[in-house]
Amino acid sequence: MEAEAVVEAQGLEKSYGETVALSGASLAVEGGEVFALIGPNGAGKTTLVRALTGTTEPDSGQARIMGDSPTSVDRSRLGVLPQDFSPPDRLSAHELLAYYAGLYDDARDPDDVLADVGLADTGETRYEDLSGGQQRRVCVGATLVNDPDVLFLDEPTTGIDPAGRRTVWRLIEELAASGTTVVLTTHDMAEAERLADRVGLLAAGSVIARGTPDTLVREHGGASRLTIETTADLEAFADLEYPVSQPERGRGRNPDNAVVVRDIDPAAIATVVDYLEARTIVYTGLTWSEPDLEDVYLELADETELEGTDRASDGAEGTNLAQAGETA
Amino acid sequence: MSRLGRVRAQTSAGWRSFVRRRTAVFFTFFFPVILIVIFGALVRTDPAGGGLFAEPPAYYVPGYLAVVVLFTPLSRMGSEVARHREGNRFEKLATTPLTRGEWLLAQTVVNAVIIGLASLLILGLVVALTGAEIAFSPFLLLYILVGVVAFCGVGAILGSYTDSQDGAIAASNAIALPLLFLSETFISLEQLPGWFEPFVDLSPLTYFARGVRAATYSDAESAAVAGIDPVIANLGILAVVAVIVFAIGAWSIPRTD
Repeated sequence: MEAEAVVEAQGLEKSYGETVALSGASLAVEGGEVFALIGPNGAGKTTLVRALTGTTEPDSGQARIMGDSPTSVDRSRLGVLPQDFSPPDRLSAHELLAYYAGLYDDARDPDDVLADVGLADTGETRYEDLSGGQQRRVCVGATLVNDPDVLFLDEPTTGIDPAGRRTVWRLIEELAASGTTVVLTTHDMAEAERLADRVGLLAAGSVIARGTPDTLVREHGGASRLTIETTADLEAFADLEYPVSQPERGRGRNPDNAVVVRDIDPAAIATVVDYLEARTIVYTGLTWSEPDLEDVYLELADETELEGTDRASDGAEGTNLAQAGETA
Repeated sequence: MSRLGRVRAQTSAGWRSFVRRRTAVFFTFFFPVILIVIFGALVRTDPAGGGLFAEPPAYYVPGYLAVVVLFTPLSRMGSEVARHREGNRFEKLATTPLTRGEWLLAQTVVNAVIIGLASLLILGLVVALTGAEIAFSPFLLLYILVGVVAFCGVGAILGSYTDSQDGAIAASNAIALPLLFLSETFISLEQLPGWFEPFVDLSPLTYFARGVRAATYSDAESAAVAGIDPVIANLGILAVVAVIVFAIGAWSIPRTD
């Protein structure tokens, strides 16, 4: 573990009956750092956040915040936004923030918090009458009323429109700049890539990879790619000097209508265009892209899923991806 | 100051949430009113005759009050706890300085105000519609307060161990309805089979009914408890029950999943 970790988890295990939610999850988050937890649904992100904030008791392992156990830490220094959090809906946005502020001895002015989350003009609107995105921003505001040192945000921007999302992003960036430690979960890779100093990829209850977004992309993101939108099959590209494959499912393209050329420099795209025209291959578009966090996610999460499938079908122990993916 | 501030913030939020649920407010007050109208004014008591409701109107004051002192905390607390669980509100509150006991205390204060107002309405209606002659003892206020504390505790327990608002309300009705009629409120012990007496003695509402009757109805033949005045003795028993049940209720409120 890092020497100055503010949030630490070591070997956390948690099961709900037959369902394993956490399987030896470990991480360490330094002071002032923004740490994003990504991973598929059911990977254990929310359970890990709950174990770290003391709202679930792990079966084994240890969690610590600012050197204390999550249940004995000074709660006035924490801000927590649970997943699917729904506050009393008959209160106005201002009343809600005043309510949560009233639970602390030293709290911020609710009007200032409303302004921070971009809702200065809707303070008198009841929570039930706000849009879904505005409601979520009020919930984010409720975690900030006590000016916390450590902030846990479980999917903070779910349901928020792009403009509102950017407001929350800027807010998190400002908090991090002022020294607040932030642990957030997200399914939005752009959010993780923009906000996080480090990212932890959680799959099957374990943190299977962690590191800066750049490090993870470099080590697990694979090669750059040129996507050709075409109905031609792979055999038509047999003579191309670059590796060619169909796109992975789940990347937003129909694999039947595209071909991916890998490991290609942008300067070499003209070579591919010449190849297409020389063989009169019909194409409707070319898109070149660098690998990103989404590639890391798909690569490692898929590996874990396949590994789990193999284990289930073989009944044998598989590779310990939790060890294989450590890049911190 | 900080504990008081937290309870005040929670009480304020709870009160605003309640008064803005117009249907809940309406039926909280309408339910006891309709009961008094049906039993007190339409059916009417008949002191000269036999059978049920044969006692003078003042005898039934504890029963009418029990409608709100028992039903309102049970159903409100049960559904409030369930609503908090469904919205992950306890998960949020568990990470704030607010304790479970403070949360339950704040909810109890809200219930006490609501039930206090409803009780005033009931007493006024009972006097106006049935001509009941009752004494307005200060102990009446204490009984209502202690009763609210006890049944808020029971409601918190129900809400904590049922899996939904519907379940909490169904459970509270299933418990409250038998208690309401079998705790010497509307039906005296003499009208029940002898083997039922231990069950009546186990009901906290029995001590509420006995005590309120002793405090408000001068003709009541309330028995002393171990030589102690029945008004004080029953209040003492109810207070002990309230403290225990409140503590269990606070402990039952979930802080973790």
